[in-house]
Amino acid sequence: MAGDQTPRPDGTDDYSSGAGQGWAAVAYLISGIAVWGFIGWLVDRWLDTGGIATAVGAIVGAAGGVYLIVRRLGGK
Amino acid sequence: MTRHTTALAADVPFPPGIEEFYPPSLVEGWGYWATKFTLLIWVAVAILIVFFLVAYRNPKMVPTKVQWMAESVYGFARDGIAKEMIGHEGIRFAPYLASLFCFILVTNSFALIPLIQVSPNAHFAFPLVLAVISWVMFITIGIRRHGFAKYFKINLIPPAPWFVLPLLVPIEFISTFLVRPFTLSVRLFANMFAGHMILAVFSLGGFVLLNAQSLFLKPISLLSWALAIALTFLEALVVLLQAYVFTVLTASYVQGALAEEH
Repeated sequence: MAGDQTPRPDGTDDYSSGAGQGWAAVAYLISGIAVWGFIGWLVDRWLDTGGIATAVGAIVGAAGGVYLIVRRLGGK
Repeated sequence: MTRHTTALAADVPFPPGIEEFYPPSLVEGWGYWATKFTLLIWVAVAILIVFFLVAYRNPKMVPTKVQWMAESVYGFARDGIAKEMIGHEGIRFAPYLASLFCFILVTNSFALIPLIQVSPNAHFAFPLVLAVISWVMFITIGIRRHGFAKYFKINLIPPAPWFVLPLLVPIEFISTFLVRPFTLSVRLFANMFAGHMILAVFSLGGFVLLNAQSLFLKPISLLSWALAIALTFLEALVVLLQAYVFTVLTASYVQGALAEEH
């Protein structure tokens, strides 16, 4: 994955690896919302729940994305 | 208005539309295989090959100017991107990253050169191919390093309790294997597309204002052109930055594929 938690032996850790982590975090958040929002939308179509499942899915997905960011990209 | 100026106004296609990015075929019967964009791609390849061949043909201890330039660019890609992102192992990937950086930089720069004024990267197909190359490469590297099963286990299964895994695994899959190539290509494409559009709007808009019926609108064309010049400098920054970002992110993905744990 893009996030590296191992500190670099030479101690270089400035912009470039920070950019990789930043984009990885954005990717997690967006994919979380997109994946579970989409699944929620499918549930909406199936059960005719009028958008509630989409909203729930997007929120759950965002939570999952944040969880992944913390686990994968957060500190030790 | 005289007939002359109305004719001029009619000559300026305004506003610029999507057809800007679908240039006509240059060779009869070749269709999309020979357009301005494909020609520019070959020109970029030729420029890079000739530049590096000339620069390294007769290397000296005290480098000539061309050799110094080539060494700086390669040194930047090797130390500033490959080593910085991947670590010592990254030197292996420096040739690819340097080629990628130079190729994107040259093709992007076409957006700034008068009479060319559009980059092939403003057409989605070209950044997409570059992104797919990087995408296939980082997956291949990861599989070769860890083996098929372990590579996907590392990437798809985060360190989390089992009952949240069904929630997280689809997110991991989408963000690593689908969002990455997509964002990589869209970022470059959208920047070059928008840059060309903005410059076209302001420079062509100047002519439209100059040809306007109202006398008050005519002087505003100067403002429009001044903005076109200012935005060209901004575009120069974007050209360099996007080549850098694309390369850095490719290196970051390679680093992630090589990493043991997270």
